[in-house]
Amino acid sequence: MYTLGIDIGSTTSKCVILRDGKEIVAKSLVVAGTGTKGPKQSYEEVLSAAGLNESDIAFIMATGYGRTTFEKMNGEMSELSCHGKGVFFANPGCRTIIDIGGQDAKVISLTDSGSISNFVMNDKCAAGTGRFLDVMAGILMIGVEELEEYALRSASPVSISSTCTVFAESEVISQLSKNVNKDDLVAGICGSVASRVAALAKRAGIKEEVFMSGGVAQNGGVRAALSKELGVDVKYTDDAQYMGALGAAIAAFHEIDKGLQSGTDH
Amino acid sequence: MNKKELFEKFHEIATHPETLMKRYIDEGKPVVLVAPVYTPEEIIHSMGCVPMGAWGADIQLNEAKRYFPAFICSIVQSILELGMKGVYKGASALVVPSLCDSLKCLGENWKYGVKDIPFIPMTYPQNRKPGYGHAFTKAGYERLISDLEKAAGKTFDDGALGESIRVYNDHNQAMRDFATIASKHPEVSASERSDVFKSATFMEKSEHTKLVRELIAYITEEEPAKSGTRILISGILADSPALNDIIDELGFTIAADDVAAQSRQYTVDAPDKAGNESNLDALVNKFCNMDNCSVLYDPDKKRVNMITNKAAFAEAQGVVVILTKFCDPEEFDYPLIKKACDERGLPCVLIEVDRQMENMEQARTMLQALKEMI
Repeated sequence: MYTLGIDIGSTTSKCVILRDGKEIVAKSLVVAGTGTKGPKQSYEEVLSAAGLNESDIAFIMATGYGRTTFEKMNGEMSELSCHGKGVFFANPGCRTIIDIGGQDAKVISLTDSGSISNFVMNDKCAAGTGRFLDVMAGILMIGVEELEEYALRSASPVSISSTCTVFAESEVISQLSKNVNKDDLVAGICGSVASRVAALAKRAGIKEEVFMSGGVAQNGGVRAALSKELGVDVKYTDDAQYMGALGAAIAAFHEIDKGLQSGTDH
Repeated sequence: MNKKELFEKFHEIATHPETLMKRYIDEGKPVVLVAPVYTPEEIIHSMGCVPMGAWGADIQLNEAKRYFPAFICSIVQSILELGMKGVYKGASALVVPSLCDSLKCLGENWKYGVKDIPFIPMTYPQNRKPGYGHAFTKAGYERLISDLEKAAGKTFDDGALGESIRVYNDHNQAMRDFATIASKHPEVSASERSDVFKSATFMEKSEHTKLVRELIAYITEEEPAKSGTRILISGILADSPALNDIIDELGFTIAADDVAAQSRQYTVDAPDKAGNESNLDALVNKFCNMDNCSVLYDPDKKRVNMITNKAAFAEAQGVVVILTKFCDPEEFDYPLIKKACDERGLPCVLIEVDRQMENMEQARTMLQALKEMI
């Protein structure tokens, strides 16, 4: 039996197909989020990658900010629950998840059985999110994927003190005009995101193991800064961006399982 | 009126208080605006005026920014905005209690921003329980009476106050009864519940009591619907239509509330006067007997246990703290509430709101996650 999870975020759309709630058959990621053709494209790509047809999928669970808008879904679940399920499935030792997405940051505490015991989300603000890194990479005229490379070369990170993205932007420009080393500037930018998110994480409470999910997890500069801020090893997996979609596919499997046990036809 | 018509009536009053205000003024009853919280409305009522709640509105702020900085409570900002835009035109005065720093600023800014409606301060003591706290409160009430006599051209009579106290105590009881019956009847939606509470702040209390009693009678006759996920809501305000729609759409039932604009203000009645006490003394005792509120000084923070006890009594499965952005007193209490809920295994989420919030999707995600947790 196949179930599909689709995570429609603000900047990307991700899909995961699971076989029998256990094995990842295919995944897809399109850099276009809610309100675009991204969700449809990601959905078509994952079916194609799995060599499956729409009729082969027993249940589609949608999550993410665009979760209520995907017409083909059979159900929808919050991204907090889906990230919890996805990360715990991939890393059963995880007790704290730090999910930094395109427009928000979340910290989720898990119990030993993988249930959510607590969560916090950031305020309506780009500081401490992927959007902050996008804006800063734009000013520095480098790709967001290059930030890690620059940050890890830094010997003396610059301090970016402004909480607000707009103010931080002028702070970065001011540093650029002083010819500050770009590696140090990027490390300072990553550190800025990490310090905002660390404050959020401390509010939720930190319990090891700590895993990052979401797009920003790919950025080693932010991970390193976050580990330093929190004083714990912040881990991640290569599939960090797919954790919401994976959790949705698991939740879809549970829905079918529940239906089978109660005799309900999906 | 049948039940549906009663709910429509409450909704109409809650969403169009200006119509009601015009009616009162046309009837020759001066309208006195009362800012949150715990303005002694009984005094205003006893002087032949109609106290109408001024809790601001969900509007864009433009004019108020001439006086207020950006990072201040949107309730006080929107009260000033409405005043400066002439929405309150015709009111005889605005009474502002001094129970938080933002309210103190409102009064000072109002004097400059709204020239045609006099500002009357209602200064309360931090320490309510000792004798000097009683004396301070009484002096504040006497100052209010004197200012009202000038602003509305009415005179104060202690006997009339006794009758108004009875009207307000009856209304308090009706609102407590409504909260209890709504908790047992999940078919009363969060939006309908909010309308009943919000209309109470605008309507003359004996009129409102009559309508609430009629509504309670209808609800009592019905077989209760199946309960949704039961929550206790806490905060200053919970009247956002978008937020209440989300609460309803996600299948929550409001089991109880600790909301300043809702049940919190109906908790304590003015006691019977004792010995040689005047009715004004009895009203002073009402304020001094109050507790369990973020803006009422309490070093023991008894409010925290009150919330978890109330949640347990109402069989709430979770607590939703609806925090008005930049409300310091509520922010100070939140970590204690969260800790107490955690200790009792009661899921607790914080949703930050303000009067200018148009997109509630983050709140939806958090509430949905709370439901999935429960």
